[in-house]
Amino acid sequence: MSRRSFLRTSAVLATGLAAVAASLKPLFEMEDFTSAEQFMQKYYKELTPDEMAKVLKRIEREVEKQYGVRPHVRDLKPMDGVEFVYALNLSRCIGCRKCVHACVAENNQSRNPEIQYIRVLKMPHGTFDLEKGDHNYDTAQVPEKGFFYMPVQCQQCHNPPCVKVCPVNATWQEKDGITVIDYDWCIGCRYCEAACPYWARRFNFTKPSIPADRLNPEMAYLGNRPRKQGVMEKCHFCVQRTRAGRYPACLEVCPTGSRKFGNILDPDSEISQILRTKRVFMQLKEDVGTNPRFFYYFDV
Amino acid sequence: MQARNRTPMVLTILVVAFAGLAAAFLSDSWGYPAPRAIIPPVDRAILDPATVRRSYADLVRAKEDLSDFDCYACHEKGHPPPLRYDGNQKLIVPPEHADVVMGHGTHGRNNNCFNCHNENNLTTLQPRDGRELKLEESTQLCGSCHGPTYRDWDSGAHGRINGYWNTKLGPAVKKDCVNCHNPHSPRFPGRKPAPGPHPLHPVAEPAQAVEAPPTH
Ligand code: HEC
Ligand code: HEC
Ligand code: HEC
Ligand code: HEC
Repeated sequence: MSRRSFLRTSAVLATGLAAVAASLKPLFEMEDFTSAEQFMQKYYKELTPDEMAKVLKRIEREVEKQYGVRPHVRDLKPMDGVEFVYALNLSRCIGCRKCVHACVAENNQSRNPEIQYIRVLKMPHGTFDLEKGDHNYDTAQVPEKGFFYMPVQCQQCHNPPCVKVCPVNATWQEKDGITVIDYDWCIGCRYCEAACPYWARRFNFTKPSIPADRLNPEMAYLGNRPRKQGVMEKCHFCVQRTRAGRYPACLEVCPTGSRKFGNILDPDSEISQILRTKRVFMQLKEDVGTNPRFFYYFDV
Repeated sequence: MQARNRTPMVLTILVVAFAGLAAAFLSDSWGYPAPRAIIPPVDRAILDPATVRRSYADLVRAKEDLSDFDCYACHEKGHPPPLRYDGNQKLIVPPEHADVVMGHGTHGRNNNCFNCHNENNLTTLQPRDGRELKLEESTQLCGSCHGPTYRDWDSGAHGRINGYWNTKLGPAVKKDCVNCHNPHSPRFPGRKPAPGPHPLHPVAEPAQAVEAPPTH
């Protein structure tokens, strides 16, 4: 090879490589690359306690690196003799949307783009047709005459279609009735989103963004730990709270007391009392056979 | 011979093209979505689980100004203030009690001060059954007339319980009637709703896009 042709070829090769390297720039900008550790992680249900402890440490490390806040991540298991049920009093709800934002704050949803688990529908009196509901209302004052307000979130079905369609078992129903998602196992195919009749599942189309001062550091593995781009999420009845005995965040802020939550297996819980004594109940889209653990009722 | 002459030219074009590509990739000139409109973080007041109203008991706990409740700073013991009515049998509330706006029940059916306050000791409450209740015990007072609602409240169906559903793990705090209802005009006040969802792809300005469609 002549000196000249060598120089020529290397000039082409060098610029070619530079172009390839430059085109890979977005990859280097990606911060939440799946770590080798996460990539090798076993299926949630097969993790031993020791392995789980390591996983939780890894998540704490990753969150601290990204947000500068050291979180407390736990893997809370369902309690024995507990099955959660939610009831919402439609005669009380005024549609103020406090629950929507308390949920976002508690569960570390992305703020931009915005992910919200609860959708409050403004419904004209006399119908339950969800198509007639409007969730973009922006009036000076609620409630408005002639309407009622119906917050919709994951209904924690007994018979969840989202679980059936998941090709990798990244979402399943636990024995306390909560359908959970393992964000490390989800492949982001969005079948579950399509299968859900309640429009309750959300997808992280882009990297979620949360201001560090708004991060809730009290986290659970199957609950509110930060998600990454390309995974599904949804309401999980605040497992990080409810499996520690507390009420979910949406209930805590409701100014009207429309939201009721508790253990249906305890006959003295308020939720059992309500289901026993209130007469007008409904489950959304009862006819599709999902049998929600989320009831809507009227005070009569 | 011709091919040999063309090689340098082709290579030069390639080098220039690659250099151009590298520059373009590095300068981000395409391939990045347009930045999204900034969504301001919500007002923290929206996240506050406080009830709409602070009761006398709350003020005592917070050690706050209780002068409104110091009835005998103005009134005289043993001389209950007389109730005065206008021509329409409507109670006249004196300007000293401007914060007491009566409207209890349709047509102000329960506006009579001494249906609730104790005529003989203004610092206590007195339901019609004759019991004498402290101001902190106002829920018992409400229950004396609103039996069914009180039962619902007692079982947890009306009102709100904060804290722990599992009382073995922590306390449950049942909110009092007067945390949500002003005893003098108990109808629940309306309010401005918290911001609605921001659209993923704002059409024009985001401020316009979130506006609700006309209501029917
Ligand atoms: C700032 C002084 C002040 C305080 C404190 C005060 N009052 Fe009065 N109140 C008045 C005055 C002045 C009137 C009208 C004159 C009158 O009738 O004696 C009045 C009238 C009333 C009346 C008659 C209302 C009507 O419509 O005619 C009631 C009942 C009453 N007060 C109850 C209370 C109770 C209960 C408290 C304590 C929780 C209290 N007041 C504290 C100044 C006060
Ligand atoms: C339905 C029962 C009821 C009626 C009727 C009623 N009150 Fe009261 N009032 C209460 C209760 C209960 C409290 C204590 C509220 C709390 O804990 O915040 C109170 C508090 C007060 C206070 C002290 C706090 C404040 O808002 O300034 C005054 C003064 C008062 N009432 C005056 C009156 C007067 C005057 C009338 C008649 C015009 C009247 N009330 C009628 C139940 C009643
Ligand atoms: C002396 C009996 C009595 C007491 C005590 C009483 N109420 Fe009432 N309340 C009534 C009556 C009467 C009505 C009107 C019912 C109607 O119009 O159908 C009413 C109506 C209401 C309403 C419906 C809203 C409205 O204005 O129509 C609410 C809420 C309410 N009361 C809350 C309370 C609370 C909270 C207390 C305790 C601080 C209380 N009540 C104490 C008699 C009472
Ligand atoms: C967490 C807040 C909250 C608490 C605590 C609460 N209420 Fe209510 N209550 C409401 C709301 C919201 C409504 C709907 C009112 C409306 O539409 O004006 C209501 C309605 C009522 C009504 C009207 C009748 C009805 O059922 O619509 C009565 C009476 C009433 N409440 C009495 C009480 C009594 C008595 C207590 C205490 C034992 C109490 N409330 C505690 C929030 C509360």
